Amino acid sequence: MPDFSPTQYAVPLFVIAVLAEMIWARLKRPEAYEPKDTLVSLAFGLGSTMAGALFGGFALYVFIEAYEYRVFDFGEAWWAVWWAWPLCFVLDDLKYYWVHRAGHRIRWMWASHVNHHSSQHYNLSTALRQSWTGAFTFGFLFAIPLVLLGFHPAMIAICGGFNLVYQFWIHTEAVGRMPRWFEAVMNTPSHHRVHHATNPRYLDRNYAGVFIVWDKLFGTFEPERDDEPVRYGIIKQLGSFNLLWAVFHEWIGMIGDIIRAPWRHKLSYLLREPGWSHDGSRETSDMIRERWRARSGQSSTFTEPVANRNPIAEQGEAA
Amino acid sequence: MDIPPLLLQTLGSLVAILALAGLAALMKLGGESKLESHADIRRAAGEVVDGFEAVETAAARDGSAALARDAEARIMLIKRHGNRFAGRVLTSQARVRRNGETLEVDCGERRFGVVCLTLDNAASWQARSDAMGHA
Repeated sequence: MPDFSPTQYAVPLFVIAVLAEMIWARLKRPEAYEPKDTLVSLAFGLGSTMAGALFGGFALYVFIEAYEYRVFDFGEAWWAVWWAWPLCFVLDDLKYYWVHRAGHRIRWMWASHVNHHSSQHYNLSTALRQSWTGAFTFGFLFAIPLVLLGFHPAMIAICGGFNLVYQFWIHTEAVGRMPRWFEAVMNTPSHHRVHHATNPRYLDRNYAGVFIVWDKLFGTFEPERDDEPVRYGIIKQLGSFNLLWAVFHEWIGMIGDIIRAPWRHKLSYLLREPGWSHDGSRETSDMIRERWRARSGQSSTFTEPVANRNPIAEQGEAA
Repeated sequence: MDIPPLLLQTLGSLVAILALAGLAALMKLGGESKLESHADIRRAAGEVVDGFEAVETAAARDGSAALARDAEARIMLIKRHGNRFAGRVLTSQARVRRNGETLEVDCGERRFGVVCLTLDNAASWQARSDAMGHA
């Protein structure tokens, strides 16, 4: 059985790439970096690795138990079945899309994933700004179908590692657009800048890990526009470089909301989307986008049924 | 003495982190953004809360912070955060104190911090704030 972690081998590459991007920033865009923000992001990366080592055991135990109930068996030498690797990589990326989407649409998951978004900068150090508290969500359950299909947990972990390594380079403003064919299929710096944006148009879009096709398939794709520069971060920017506050602020907010909420709404503060409130005093990303659309006269391209966007199917008009 | 690989890796990562952050400071990355004009503050306010249209603004003399009021009489506090800006619409939790031309604005969030603004018209902004119950 291979004992291999792509992310560990990639760490020196990460350091060199951050250094190279800093030199680019010095020459072209000094404001792309902020030393305190960089320190916080990199500390997030280190803490995330340590948290994974401390708390990752439970997920591993569940995967190994679930593997006993696999539907297909690739045999003792499962790592030698060459075609299983690309298949596992693609399916793991599909899994990533959904776990990532849940990370934005379920507050319990967001409490952990918000760490990756709380920088107001977008550079390679932001890529390393990973959560410390992922083990305290149910995100690992999204991999169970792959395990039950027969993919060994180690194979899934290695594919997931390569997926994360791929996602490192897309966290940059140094790259504009890639060739058209590449932008059409792959997740790119342009697509992922949209994902990190707070502009209402861009909120909760482009969840892809490696292949942007999942967003196009599931209706969450939004292209980056030259006439709308991206603003990065979260709706309520932290305004603080305190590392521990950055790590735990959403957990503290969510638990406080659950404690204060009437009994019948407590679970909603855990499982509904960030920004939801039982008294309507806050705004979700959908509400912010709709308000922006109403104000700016933008048409909705995602919330309308296909028929409403089809001119030959307009109400009162014969097809 | 055998050092566990995980500890060695952690220490190596820590050194790399401090080196990179230190290098970012040495290279003078970041710079200093300022809120100076009405247009600057209006833009920043619209970014803090989408749709917030400031009708009246006041920038701190050093450009590090600003106040903005919209047509609904909401008051927003904006402060420099690194080389970006962060802000809060003041609620009933907020407290505003004046010492001469300097306003000390506490939005009520400890981690956001108390923001001091030296303004040309500090008294009138305090009066607006007091009218909203932020005294």
